[in-house]
Amino acid sequence: MPRAVKGLLIECDPSIKSMILKYDEERRDYIVEDLDDENHLVIKESQLENLKMRLDKDLDEKIMQLDESESE
Amino acid sequence: MAPKRKAADSGRSSSASKRPTPVPDVTEISSSDEYSDDQDEVPEQNNLKEVVSKFSLESFSKKSHLDKTDSRFGYKDLSSLPLKRDHYNRPLWIEPVKGTITLESFSPLAPQAQDFLTTIAEPLSRPTHLHEYRLTGHSLYAAVSVGLKPQDIVEFLDRLSKTPLPESIRTFIIEFTKSYGKIKMVLRHNRYYVETTDPEMLQRLLKDEVIGPQRVESTEGIIERAAPKMGGLVIPGTKDAAGVRETGTEQNAAAAPRNDNEEIAVDYGIDDVGEDTDEATTYSFEIPPAGVEIVKARCQAIGCPALEEYDFQGDTENANLDMDLKPAARIRSYQEKSLSKMFGNGRAKSGIIVLPCGAGKTLVGITAAATIKKGTIVLCTSSMSVVQWRNEFLRWTTIDPSDVAIFTSDHKEKFKRSTGIIVSTYSMVSQTRARSYDAQKMMDWLQSREWGMMILDEVHVVPASMFRKVTSAIAAQSKLGLTATLLREDDKIKDLNFLIGPKLYEANWMELAAQGHIAKVQCAEVWCPMTTEFYSEYLRESSRKQALLYIMNPRKFQACQFLIDFHEKRGDKIIVFSDNVYALERYALKLNKAYIYGGTPQNERMRILENFQHNEQVNTIFLSKIGDTSLDLPEATCLIQISSHYGSRRQEAQRLGRILRAKRRNDEGFNAFFYSLVSKDTNEMVYSAKRQAFLVDQGYAFKVITHLQGIENFEGLSYATPAERRELLQEVMLQNESSADVEQVNDDLFSMRSGNKRPGAKKPSAKRSAATLSGLAGGDDMAYIEYNKSKNKQLKDKTGHHPLFKKMERERQRRKKERETGVE
Repeated sequence: MPRAVKGLLIECDPSIKSMILKYDEERRDYIVEDLDDENHLVIKESQLENLKMRLDKDLDEKIMQLDESESE
Repeated sequence: MAPKRKAADSGRSSSASKRPTPVPDVTEISSSDEYSDDQDEVPEQNNLKEVVSKFSLESFSKKSHLDKTDSRFGYKDLSSLPLKRDHYNRPLWIEPVKGTITLESFSPLAPQAQDFLTTIAEPLSRPTHLHEYRLTGHSLYAAVSVGLKPQDIVEFLDRLSKTPLPESIRTFIIEFTKSYGKIKMVLRHNRYYVETTDPEMLQRLLKDEVIGPQRVESTEGIIERAAPKMGGLVIPGTKDAAGVRETGTEQNAAAAPRNDNEEIAVDYGIDDVGEDTDEATTYSFEIPPAGVEIVKARCQAIGCPALEEYDFQGDTENANLDMDLKPAARIRSYQEKSLSKMFGNGRAKSGIIVLPCGAGKTLVGITAAATIKKGTIVLCTSSMSVVQWRNEFLRWTTIDPSDVAIFTSDHKEKFKRSTGIIVSTYSMVSQTRARSYDAQKMMDWLQSREWGMMILDEVHVVPASMFRKVTSAIAAQSKLGLTATLLREDDKIKDLNFLIGPKLYEANWMELAAQGHIAKVQCAEVWCPMTTEFYSEYLRESSRKQALLYIMNPRKFQACQFLIDFHEKRGDKIIVFSDNVYALERYALKLNKAYIYGGTPQNERMRILENFQHNEQVNTIFLSKIGDTSLDLPEATCLIQISSHYGSRRQEAQRLGRILRAKRRNDEGFNAFFYSLVSKDTNEMVYSAKRQAFLVDQGYAFKVITHLQGIENFEGLSYATPAERRELLQEVMLQNESSADVEQVNDDLFSMRSGNKRPGAKKPSAKRSAATLSGLAGGDDMAYIEYNKSKNKQLKDKTGHHPLFKKMERERQRRKKERETGVE
């Protein structure tokens, strides 16, 4: 029986794409289809906001972390 | 309202002068609480750090300006400083709390102001339109040491400032300069004297409970003599020198009797030089050589550090060295400026001169030696630069070649005559482990002599501890430090202030570039996005392996390839730098270019460098860290950096220095290029920003390139398909962590430090494998082919044999032919 999922095509930097791929590995709940190129993905529409928040948070953290390592 | 002086001029000493009868008082030292409102550090003689921290205006004025703080502006509420009515004509902004001076360098008055500011303040950053300087204790100290009066400084600042000169700055200048440079430590006739121009100061010193007893009692007491004049001294190579040459010996003749007068003044303690020296009389008393260290430390503690100067004209003890600059040698204006600071009052001051790479530091050192004309010891970082220094001496001066000796592990020479120049390395001199017999003998000889000057090349690389060893081992009257980048990541650079002397001069890179002394450079940072695969792994890996991933980023590789191709087509000679040897090798092999790293054999290095310089086919070389310093390749016009030592500002500046002396720099519209390739979203971005800080302060602007125009259409781009990239990733992942490490370098580009076997260098061991003889010979359908051939091997010597052997070979061939024809 066919199942329909509402998807969303997103375009992002390669590095962001790999971060999303990493999230998806945990529970497989973000990505509908990984288009095989550098910067496109189809994700579940319902997860968009959640994903944005998570990326924002992680990127912020990453930068903080870098600052620390710099001062060492 | 004058705020109390802080610890630098400790409460103890200021109180001593306030009292009617200044008696040395022991209790005052211990009871710092009495002065707790204006001092919070008890002077400690041996604590260098504390002394360093004392010399900043910030700590000086923090206490006195608390009342002005407003919560809305923080400490930067400067509303109390009204603008002068014609402020637009005046180029300076002076910030009262930190002592930062901002100069509008577009103002017509800027050139003069700049000259003056470099004398009295330390340049912080000098981009195109606004320059920033900071007044510090040290910079004022340096200013006074070249003969500026505090009143002049205050007047000058007041005249050019947009606001009336803040009171705190005025007091700071006057208070600090009052004690600075007042005391001089002079070596005369091999005896140490403490000298001052101020009788009051003299009294204070003599009454001091540490310095007082050090005085040598047997001498005639206080010596009064005329202060030396610049008169007789001419720095060779300058315009003055040219004038002297024309007038011939007249000046020398005139100078001679005056010197005699001085001698008398010294010997009998009589001021018999005449009325014109009324103001410039100096008083001095003798101290024993053993007391020098103690007195110096004490002077520092009481806030009036003793200047060390060398009266080389009056020095009759040490033999004169017969050397002069060749008439053809002309030193450039900034070199002259730096030297005139060193020889400000006819004596040699110790200190550091900062000039960019390729701006002729060596010549400055040589000119200084030629001015002093005494035994000189030159210390540099590697045995190759030892040879270079010696050659430069011979090239620029009239010195007899036998008077310039080399002391390295291979050569241990002494000069034939009574005095001369010794060139050596830091490691040779500071080594404490067992030495060979003749090295020890040589060392003893070095230590037994007294040297007129010690030139320290590349001072920034020498750790303070090694430096102490060197300076204590060898007795030199004056020390001159030379460097391009007076900075260290560990902030130990401040120690040099005390070990050598203050910074005497720092050149403005942009100005030199504008005058054509060094090349103009376009700096660019190229952002290379990480590919998805690489970044996924990057997120997973430990930090060491991460480095490998961002260096081997295929996008970066492509950018590198593209830039090399682009610049080779323009006719540039390109150096690619990579700290990481694994990456260096991979890049070079893939792009089929020659590369040099620590493990490259000596003759191969030479061959590659020669080819790079003269062969039109070889336009690009890859260098590891060994190429960072002391590499002189004036052909290079473009520089690409693919991996670097974390956030080292020094390395960045040194690498930039490789292209500053580009031969073609004076061509119309010529620009050298400096690219730094950075993988986006990785730690590299942070490091890169940090590395650039120094160059940005020097006025270089880094352009950020996010996309290289035309890279998609580039023919033969490596790693263009995802499959290739995955292959590369696999290969990178198979590397162990140690591949990510930065190469350990013990030598420089040209020579191993001979004598010491490098620890990593093992003899290649033989490999055994079982196979049939016919199989190895190719009998079993096996053939050998070398993939990814190293370009290094293809640069074989084309010259081949010596002509003699060639001739013999030709004859042999001819005879053979004759014989063959004869047989037929």
